[in-house]
Amino acid sequence: MNVINVDGLSKSYGKGSTQVNALHDVSFSIKQGEFVAVVGASGSGKSTLLHMLGGLDKPSSGYVHIDGENLYALMEKQRAVFRRRKIGFIFQSYNLIPVLNVEENIQLPLLLDRRQPDQAYINDLIHTLGLHERRKHLPSELSGGQQQRVAIGRALAYRPAIVLADEPTGNLDSANGREVLELLKLAVRQYHQTVIVISHDMNVAAEADRVLNMQDGKLINDTSSGGRGI
Amino acid sequence: MKSYGAMAGRYLKQQRRRSILTIVGIILSVALISALGTMGQALKDNMILNAKYEDGSFHIGFSKSTPELYETLKKHMLVDQLGIYRPGESTSLQGNYKVELGSVDEGALKLLPAHLQEGRLPASADELIVEQWLLDLLPGTPKLNGSAELNGPDGKPHAYRIVGIMNNQKITQLKGSSKAYTLMDPAHLIIDSKTALFLTFKPGVDINRQLTDFSKLSKDMFTNTNLLALMGESRDTGLNRALAIIFGTLVGLVVLSTVAVIYNAFHIAVLERIRQFGLLRTLGASPRQVRNLVLREATVLSVIGVPLGLLIGWSGLWLVLSLMAKGGMKIMMMEKFQLTFHWWIIGGSFVIGFLAVYLAAWLPARKASSVSPVEAVKGAGSIVRESYRRLRIPSVLSLLGIEGQMASNNIRRNRTKFRITTFSIVISIMLFIVFHYFTQQTLNLTTTTNEDDRVAFQLTRNFFSDDTGKPQQASDIVSDDKMKQLRELPGVYGVYGKYQSIDPQALVPDKQFKNDFAKKTDGQFEQVKWNGQSNKVVYSRLMLYDEARFQEAAKYVISGTADPKKLSAADGVLLIQTVKPLTVAGKKEIMPLTRYKVGDKLTLMTDYSKMPTAKQVREVTVAGILTQSPFDAAYQENSLVIIAAKPTFAKLLEAIPKTDYLNSYGTARTGIDVALKDGADSNLIKQNLEEIARSTPGSRLIDIAAEQKETRNFNLQMQIFVYSFLVIIGVIGSLNIINTVQTNLLLRRREIGLLQAVGMTMGQIRRMASAEGVWFGVIGSIWGILLGAGFSYFLYVQLSGVQGMPFEFPWSASLIAGGAALLVGLISVQGPLRRMEKANLIEELREEA
Repeated sequence: MNVINVDGLSKSYGKGSTQVNALHDVSFSIKQGEFVAVVGASGSGKSTLLHMLGGLDKPSSGYVHIDGENLYALMEKQRAVFRRRKIGFIFQSYNLIPVLNVEENIQLPLLLDRRQPDQAYINDLIHTLGLHERRKHLPSELSGGQQQRVAIGRALAYRPAIVLADEPTGNLDSANGREVLELLKLAVRQYHQTVIVISHDMNVAAEADRVLNMQDGKLINDTSSGGRGI
Repeated sequence: MKSYGAMAGRYLKQQRRRSILTIVGIILSVALISALGTMGQALKDNMILNAKYEDGSFHIGFSKSTPELYETLKKHMLVDQLGIYRPGESTSLQGNYKVELGSVDEGALKLLPAHLQEGRLPASADELIVEQWLLDLLPGTPKLNGSAELNGPDGKPHAYRIVGIMNNQKITQLKGSSKAYTLMDPAHLIIDSKTALFLTFKPGVDINRQLTDFSKLSKDMFTNTNLLALMGESRDTGLNRALAIIFGTLVGLVVLSTVAVIYNAFHIAVLERIRQFGLLRTLGASPRQVRNLVLREATVLSVIGVPLGLLIGWSGLWLVLSLMAKGGMKIMMMEKFQLTFHWWIIGGSFVIGFLAVYLAAWLPARKASSVSPVEAVKGAGSIVRESYRRLRIPSVLSLLGIEGQMASNNIRRNRTKFRITTFSIVISIMLFIVFHYFTQQTLNLTTTTNEDDRVAFQLTRNFFSDDTGKPQQASDIVSDDKMKQLRELPGVYGVYGKYQSIDPQALVPDKQFKNDFAKKTDGQFEQVKWNGQSNKVVYSRLMLYDEARFQEAAKYVISGTADPKKLSAADGVLLIQTVKPLTVAGKKEIMPLTRYKVGDKLTLMTDYSKMPTAKQVREVTVAGILTQSPFDAAYQENSLVIIAAKPTFAKLLEAIPKTDYLNSYGTARTGIDVALKDGADSNLIKQNLEEIARSTPGSRLIDIAAEQKETRNFNLQMQIFVYSFLVIIGVIGSLNIINTVQTNLLLRRREIGLLQAVGMTMGQIRRMASAEGVWFGVIGSIWGILLGAGFSYFLYVQLSGVQGMPFEFPWSASLIAGGAALLVGLISVQGPLRRMEKANLIEELREEA
């Protein structure tokens, strides 16, 4: 079952001679439970693609369907609610809320929905992420690796349809980077999540089931699992 | 955490400093708003009480009555209190004084202005109350509870017991005639055409609508005009409206400044967290949720700040008033001052406080909610796309070297931030100027400021002609030595000689005459030719001052000198050319009559014949110009006041015919005025003066100590209020500036770290930041002064509906406010700069990288 369907997606910024085509007619689909890496040089359009998948920015043309929902047919507010429930984000710079502790940061998407978190699931998540001793700590009291684990926890808290990770290991040393990657793979295995990772890191691409290679806003290569390379 | 909304509290806690600053701003503003409301209400209450004190508390009266009218009124549903007053025959006392004993019923004693100093009100037809100064003049000089024989209501002499003593009034003493009251026998009320009736309406009665009906009862109806006007029950509602507009404007300005302070705090708090709002949006927060988060912060702040502000405003005012009451002052000249608790003021301030906070938080909240999630994810440091504007005109700041150039670039690169920063400085400066102007004018309006306020005793002597009709030659009432002794008594502020004045005519050349005066009033002046010039004949009053008076006059000098030695050396005089005539518009207005300057010659004609001749025309030199008269009435209606020292005065006297009575007075000291220090005990001084009065034939002592004390107290209270208001305004303004300037700088912590990294020294950064601060101050001052003057003018228009006066540009307030803004701006950048200096450069750069 396809959880993501992207069809003829284009995005351009500016007008006339200064127009930049960040994405040009990109189409692909992703199945549930896939671990996908998007790779490409700086400026190849991979970040723009991630924004489109997350419903953060509007495309110039084309469609994104997630879990059968046409993302850009939704109103702004509905899209926010959709994001809250169906999409988990992980960023390079962790982006935790500094005034909330570890547990609260993880629960935040649920709280935004005025839902009481499923405490057993959250506890399980915190244990899986190895954060049980840091439950009440503020982000400023955590190491970079720990912060990124909190971010992963937050992304998984709502059991979203897809998890989008933008250079999740970019700010980490290799040991911590490896650990984060293992956790993402664990999410795919244990919670049957769909994870899409943008990365420069060849290790990430090597671990992925599938690699999408971007260049100049176009999808130039799509290798499926077992390829172990481009 | 039960809900995402709890994040608001976390943010406020995290930014404790700013939250406290914002709460303090809210507290001060709400305190000021509620205090302003209370003061405005108290001012009105005070004016009503004052009117009742002076004219009585009755609403309307009938000067002639009939038994039928009395019965009608007595039974009337709308009438609350009814009083009867019937004038009596007057009794002549020693020294040409008179007292008239009127009879009243118990109701009238409450409705008429009779204020007991000691004793009680009369309870029978054998008892009376009388003014204190009359006691010494009544036959047998009785004391309280003594008795005196006066002409009774029937015109026949009768013995009365004095059961109460009323406060002395200046006017009755000067007139030499006073009223005493006795009780009408309730069993035999005399209601005839000589009897006057006074009444009040029941509370809640629309008096204005009843006036026509009541005037139908008798054509002799009259109203207590002042009181009704103040109660808003007369057709002329001008005063009430003016008061409402004035206080409305002031409250409006305070609200505006509150909004500015809070808007600023929120705006900057939102700018700092723009990334986090973006993040919340990527996590699926709806714009509304983000907006609510900011509004929730506003709610928390106002829930803390508004009630505290009300509490502090109320208790602060209460504290000031009770301290003053403890100090033995009568608040606002009222016998018993109670700070009345008005629900509408507390409720109004509450609502206004909350509204102001929400109004201020609304735009920043909207800004936060419209943050695009992409911006946050992209990790750009700031959401604000800064459009750098290249100004054609190079900034003055560029003259200050590289730091100045950086400063001018920083200021220009973000218009919104520039506007917000200057806006709050403008508001602060404007607020101070307007309040300064308003309070100064209120002081001028409500307090007569003149040295006469301190005068508590006057000793005067009349001179009579001898048997041949030749006037007696006057001599000094008190010797110089005695004057010195009096001055050394404890509690004496000053002892001033009083001299006979001359009323010469001033020949004012047309070019020296202010045409404005002629236009605004219909005053006509005679034209006379003299020295080949056309002159207007302006009446003037020539006063002789002794050294003690000149010393006080020095406080009123606008130009020139009031040094008596310099004056006598060159035939110099002091001139007061500001007058307060009744304009054609029917309003008293303060304006200049002539345009003399120091050094100008003033031509005086000392005889009253039509054509001036060299014999009776003298020239003096204007050596000093005063704002107003230091003694006597502050302003004349349409004449000049000229003040001379003895030698000059003597020379001018020579121009008066020898036979004139003025020559018999010469420069003799015919009386003295004794001024007291505030809070001084007047008894010892009074005893001394009484002794002089006894040993000097023909002299008498006028005791206005009680009246004087109340006036001075009132003036002092007004000043306490005025200056405490100004201090609060100053604090609010400074907080506002500190808040803006500091956050403006703290927002750029990373950028400043970067500048350090590329080699800018902390000294250079400090110069840059200081240059920015000063520049904000300069721009803010220019606009603030312009707007402040504009609003002051608006208030002036309202105030001049109450009393006419010239508009003065608020220079001193502008100077204070502008200077303070620069200073506060400069000082407030130092704190954050010091903190940055201590902070780790690398940490700053890494933050939010």
